[in-house]
Amino acid sequence: MSTMTINGRVAPLPDDIDAMLIDVVRTDLDLTGTKLVCGAGVCGACTVLVDGAPVASCLMPARAAAGKTVTTVEGIGTEKLHPVQKAFMVHDALQCGFCTPGFIIEAAAFHDRWRATKGTATPSREEIGAVLSGHLCRCGAYDGIFSAVAAACSGQFDGGDIVSPRVEARDKVTGAAKYTVDINHEGQLEGVILRSEIAHGKIGELDFAPALALPGVGAAISLLAEDRIVRFVGQPIAAVAARDRKTALAAIAAIKVSSEKLPSVIGLDEARKPNAPVVFEKADRKKAGNVSEGAGAPAPWKANIRGPSAAFSLKPKQVRSWVESARQEKNPLLVEGVFRTGTQSHTCLEPHATVAHFEGDRLTVHASTQSVFHLMELIAKRYKLDHDKVRVIADHVGGGFGSKASLGAETTIAIDLARAANAPVRVAFDRHEELSVTGYRPASEVKLALLPSEQGGLKALSVTAYADTGAAINSTIATLARLIYPAEGKELADFDVISNLPPGAAFRGPGGPPMAFAVEQAIDEAALRMKVDPIELRKRWDTDPNRRRLYEWAQGLDVWRNRKSPAEQTGRYRRGVGVATGYWLYLWQPGSKVEVSVKGGRLIASTAIQDIGTGSRTVIANTVAREFGLEPHEVEVHIGDSKLPVGPGSGGSRTTASVVPPTLLAIQKLKAAIEKNAKQKPAPGSNAPWRELLAASPDLTASGVRPEDSRQMAPGIESPLKQVGILGWIFGKMMRWMSNMVIGAGVPSSVQVIEVEVDTWLGHVRVLNVHTGIAVGKIAAPALARSQAAGSVIQGIGYALYEAREIDGRTGDTLSGGLEDYRIPGIADTPVIDVHFDEAGFDHVLGGSVGIGEVATVPTSPAVANAIYNATGIRPMDLPIRPDRLISALKGRAAA
Amino acid sequence: MTPAMTTEFRAAGTDLSERRRSGVSKGPLMDIVPASDISGMHWGADGTLRIGAYTTIAMIAADRSIAAAYPGIAASAQGLATPQIRHLATLGGNIAQRSRCWYFRNPHIACLKKGGTDCPARSGNHLYHVAFDLGPCVAPHPSTMAAALLAYDATIITYTRSGLSIPDVLGDGSNGTADNLLQPGEMIRGIELPKPMQDERAFYKRAISRAYAEWPLVEICARAVVKDGAFQFIRLAAGGIAPVPLRLKAAEGALQGKAANALNIEVAAKFATSGAKPLPMTGYKLDLLEGVVRDVLEKLAA
Repeated sequence: MSTMTINGRVAPLPDDIDAMLIDVVRTDLDLTGTKLVCGAGVCGACTVLVDGAPVASCLMPARAAAGKTVTTVEGIGTEKLHPVQKAFMVHDALQCGFCTPGFIIEAAAFHDRWRATKGTATPSREEIGAVLSGHLCRCGAYDGIFSAVAAACSGQFDGGDIVSPRVEARDKVTGAAKYTVDINHEGQLEGVILRSEIAHGKIGELDFAPALALPGVGAAISLLAEDRIVRFVGQPIAAVAARDRKTALAAIAAIKVSSEKLPSVIGLDEARKPNAPVVFEKADRKKAGNVSEGAGAPAPWKANIRGPSAAFSLKPKQVRSWVESARQEKNPLLVEGVFRTGTQSHTCLEPHATVAHFEGDRLTVHASTQSVFHLMELIAKRYKLDHDKVRVIADHVGGGFGSKASLGAETTIAIDLARAANAPVRVAFDRHEELSVTGYRPASEVKLALLPSEQGGLKALSVTAYADTGAAINSTIATLARLIYPAEGKELADFDVISNLPPGAAFRGPGGPPMAFAVEQAIDEAALRMKVDPIELRKRWDTDPNRRRLYEWAQGLDVWRNRKSPAEQTGRYRRGVGVATGYWLYLWQPGSKVEVSVKGGRLIASTAIQDIGTGSRTVIANTVAREFGLEPHEVEVHIGDSKLPVGPGSGGSRTTASVVPPTLLAIQKLKAAIEKNAKQKPAPGSNAPWRELLAASPDLTASGVRPEDSRQMAPGIESPLKQVGILGWIFGKMMRWMSNMVIGAGVPSSVQVIEVEVDTWLGHVRVLNVHTGIAVGKIAAPALARSQAAGSVIQGIGYALYEAREIDGRTGDTLSGGLEDYRIPGIADTPVIDVHFDEAGFDHVLGGSVGIGEVATVPTSPAVANAIYNATGIRPMDLPIRPDRLISALKGRAAA
Repeated sequence: MTPAMTTEFRAAGTDLSERRRSGVSKGPLMDIVPASDISGMHWGADGTLRIGAYTTIAMIAADRSIAAAYPGIAASAQGLATPQIRHLATLGGNIAQRSRCWYFRNPHIACLKKGGTDCPARSGNHLYHVAFDLGPCVAPHPSTMAAALLAYDATIITYTRSGLSIPDVLGDGSNGTADNLLQPGEMIRGIELPKPMQDERAFYKRAISRAYAEWPLVEICARAVVKDGAFQFIRLAAGGIAPVPLRLKAAEGALQGKAANALNIEVAAKFATSGAKPLPMTGYKLDLLEGVVRDVLEKLAA
């Protein structure tokens, strides 16, 4: 048997010719800091050092490591942290942390090489971008990574203690943080799913006997509904649990399946044709998924088209006639266009994964989820279990972005298999599953008409949006155009176009980015035709006080003041500057509860929230620490467990606004109790009175529940739904009643000014600078809020320039099922990002803070598009603005 | 026996491991034992260079002598894949790697290279496929190194044959069932590069959507001797556009002996697309090809 030396120890290597180094590292040696993400050498999450060189352990055969020295993240900084690890912690160069070990390995190797030859010189952005070009971070922590690597190489982290702004950062840079995919119970089996290879059909009898006959197979179950119908490629048919993945895959292959194909229809264009096969007959409509954050309102539904959802329209008939007259009169100010956006995949680096474990009648579920508490409720309901018999745990979650908000197939299948096999079972999706069947932001076709009035106001806006929702419904693209830019009339209609594709899902500001891509370009075009500065026009048309402050800030930026017009530019490379606005709703979850205790003199805050990389742990730690005059790392925060007091889901940007107010209430009560129980008052003039009181305090606990907001609001601040009158009121009530979310007063807002460079020979766009102004009230955790803002921009750049799910239009197969074909931004695609927080506007919220996660990504794609227009005179109508599209437009040809 | 069932050689496995994981490759495997004669660089007394098939891309990318004598080879090696792949991947493996076509890589879809009867990309989604439609399969050849070797008139040595040109090994695109014409059991041992010319220079450029780490939409390796303001010698080899790496002979012809000026470069760039037969979705690659050719020619002329 051959061996390798790993982290200083000798370890045996398996004889299996197909065993990869990562299998040995993660499974045999339980060194789970090394992560498997793409399985194709694209993302770098599995990077380890082999004889000092960073390599992709997901592609390196285990036997090739014979006689070699291997170092994983657990072997970096074991005695004391490596300078790169410290730099990542201090510069907040991470969010969910799932990609972090790979980055640490590569950056540490680079650092050591650099220091050996260059001393403490600082590497350039370009050098860092090139060396880390084989690593992907979906949260978009690149901005911090640049700073961290530069600082470590220049010797700033050679010694001394450091403090990270993110409380769990140390576990993430050392590989100690355990994610769902890292859970390994005694006797745990691996669950694998047999999926449909046809887009529509009826599945015949399943013969499990050959699968169950294989040694090591614990269970095989059917996942079909009574009608045995599958409606998309990838729909689950059956599942198997076996001692390892290889055995489970062999068992899946052994299941005999027969199927009868039914007529299918794929995509937006085909599904709208009059004789297209119907995906959901009336009786089956409940099986459709949901692409929004809340429950949907009823809407007409005929064949594959559900809509119009047009409740937010205002004088739609008049709008139609005004636009028609303007068209007849050839009014040059009438802006019309059809915009198309691409399908964006969430691409969480930690796949959808669940480990289910029954002990007697108790069920423990480790899940990669955006809502430990709500998931517990959903599991209890589905399996008819009491809440106290179900426990959902998620210590760390490797990204969610909307795709892990509900009870997913990975969870129900893990539970069903665990029950059937009478053993703990893990289900973790592979990358192809992740990029095909876990949801996506639907592509859309947005028809728009915008008509300024003769006086220079906004007279009419018409937006009709068709969303490519697959086997799902409830798109709200046009609807969102109601809550910004008041007009004399608005005609807004949303349609879901259902086809035999996997269902879409909520994705970071669902409906927001496609709406903004169309509307914000139309505003830009109107400004141009009206010969008004585009920011000035927004100031004229947009009444929201939060955004008006951001416009003032944007107008003062040098890059805006110095921009040129398209006509001024010639030559191969052209630069342009664009602006766009975005908003999102301020949502909070009623009933959210936080407990704050003092125990043995130490403060502990607990709530059943989860940290998907957004920083909820730190927000709570900071809030408690600030009130007691302590440092955040002195506060223990317990989250990620449904046994804790009910906490909010991480969706709708609601976590900060849901947990900060009850934390403050709990602190108030706890302080009173501590003072009451104090035998001795702190010394007069003490600069740390609470430190003294806490040290002497008996163990005490207090809790707070999210209160209603104050009705005392700053001038002009009101619920955005007020604009929609009674319907808005009903909509708000429905959100609260059906989705347990309150739409609060005040509108989280973002204005972005973006500079790009266009290579007109190669159709390539480089985003150079982004200025993102954000109004979300007081910033609860500044470094982390900055990371969120920068990450939102980077994800928005992906949406604008690179990301598109590609399918086969005949079969419904997802072709972009790997990370080489589904292209998310890399570190070298990251612009210089300037974040401006305007902290006013939310004083009516206890603590003054609302969420940032969604609003910050809404304006990026239109701002990039407007910048490209400014550079080239070409109006990008289709997302993503890839080289194939841009070069065709530049050459005046139709794109494919 | 279907092609997938023949024994596949494994060097570093950077291509093969992904196909094993997905189930596209299921047949027997044989690991290559890295003997000293297939690793590393061997300079001949006559100024030629032999590179062993097992030499890693990272070694080629970092070698100063290669960068001096064959800058197009070095730049191509530096430009492909990612650092973690380049540290593992070998030259031989790069030449003999399989197609990156998304239909080929899907274990549930039949195609010509997997014993199927037609090419699903041709009638389906071929956004990233060929613009020179030279055969039944429309996937571009994935080897960046092969295009660079073509530009340098390199020859390939196997354990049974030697002196093979790139077209001898990779064909002309008319065979849609395989990615190369190596015989069953035939393994690449190394490559031989002729002595570089006096004063020759070379550049490599790929057109992609992001900054790094993407299969090229179009790539070019260009060599030239520019003397007295004219192209004394010019060689252009393109990848990403055809089932095999392609010499752009019409563009070369338009420059040979001509003044290295903007007008001639623009004309030659237009000639780069001579003979192209784009698919419905790949017309853009011709514009990009023109762009990358102009890019490298301007650098060569500078």
